[in-house]
Amino acid sequence: MRADRYSRQSFLGSDAEERISNCTVGIVGLGGGGSHIVQQLAHIGFQHYVIYDDDRVEESNLNRLVGARSVDVPAGTPKLHLAKMMIFGLQPGAEVKAFGCRWQEDPEPLRECQIVFGCVDSYKGREELEVACRRYLMHYIDIGMDVHGKENPVIGGQVILSSPGGLCIRCMGFLTDEKLAQEAARYGTAGGRPQVIWPNGVLASTAVGLAVNLLTGWTRRALTHAYLSYDGNEATVKESITLKNRSAGSCAHFTETDVGDPVLVAL
Amino acid sequence: MRTIIKLTGDLHTLIMRDLARPHPFAAERVGFAFGRTCALRGSARLILLTNYHPVPDEQYIDDPAVGARIGPDALTWGMQAVYHGRLLREGIFHVHLHGHRGETGMSGVDRREIPALIPGFQSVGREAAHGIIILSLNHGSGWVWLPGSAECMHADGISVIGAPVQVFNRKARP
Repeated sequence: MRADRYSRQSFLGSDAEERISNCTVGIVGLGGGGSHIVQQLAHIGFQHYVIYDDDRVEESNLNRLVGARSVDVPAGTPKLHLAKMMIFGLQPGAEVKAFGCRWQEDPEPLRECQIVFGCVDSYKGREELEVACRRYLMHYIDIGMDVHGKENPVIGGQVILSSPGGLCIRCMGFLTDEKLAQEAARYGTAGGRPQVIWPNGVLASTAVGLAVNLLTGWTRRALTHAYLSYDGNEATVKESITLKNRSAGSCAHFTETDVGDPVLVAL
Repeated sequence: MRTIIKLTGDLHTLIMRDLARPHPFAAERVGFAFGRTCALRGSARLILLTNYHPVPDEQYIDDPAVGARIGPDALTWGMQAVYHGRLLREGIFHVHLHGHRGETGMSGVDRREIPALIPGFQSVGREAAHGIIILSLNHGSGWVWLPGSAECMHADGISVIGAPVQVFNRKARP
């Protein structure tokens, strides 16, 4: 039976199953994007997970939260619980380290990961997670979507791969001081932003595809970074123009020796 | 106690290329990697390798009885490097390559000779973890002496964070 289970993905390579099952993945945020990612990783055969979410299922989540049922609203089911159910339902022997808090409150388990998926809402959250991934040597794959405008809504989104030694999300033009400042000025006034299931599905699938390629190398493209831009109105995913127009070069924000715990050096 | 070693794909490639170079008389090569220790959950530890220094050709001793023997200049250099990196608590790892595929371990010569170097490194870098890393063509194993410890721990795994990601989990048990 086991031989059959992954037979349809054997093109990933003869050792793909071992590579996938040895990898420890982190998923930060188990909402609209993270719930898709967890589902796909469990189907593919991942066995080691470090997951974080401090939220519970609410009525407004049911339009997009994979695995959620109507009864989870009155029950106040933690999103963490849904993710664990999804993983164990497909991989009963999986090792799942699950934390019902912000990752910053218990960051050490995340450091074991080789690949971290960031499914967080804010630019600040992305920046903090990427810094951790650089310091503790992890590939960081960010996903996010947004809907702009009310009269003529436009769905946009991104999938970004930031790897140690490669370009970071600032270098790729996604994160800027201006965006961080605007976000800080809006803090506390945002309210519930529009979210729908299908863009999250596209973005999560693209992110998982990047991760599987990182592990198995099946496309023969050794990616050190990626910035893919999603246009939900046109239904396309393309390399970001910002990245395409950037001149080649190395990361200006992280050095290869900026790793590990910051150390206070007495002067 | 769980111990994991991580390094980037670029650093792994650099090490493998260096160790694969033929030496004028030694059968294999040796290098030094440097690593910083961080906490994981509980007592577990993560070692992050930051850079690598090949041992120069002239610092080997011609000894046909072993694959490679490095001389006092190489060891002095290593101790000085540990001393200079002590503020960052950067430890040193003796690295060499076994030219086969699959999980590897210390040979009899490795067991007899390399651990004897560790107390010297500990004497100049007391707050750092030091150790030994042996790579194979597609795997690797590590042994780590945590600060102040006279005993080593066999690392549970080595992760190469590159494209592709490689995870060398320890399977063999002594």
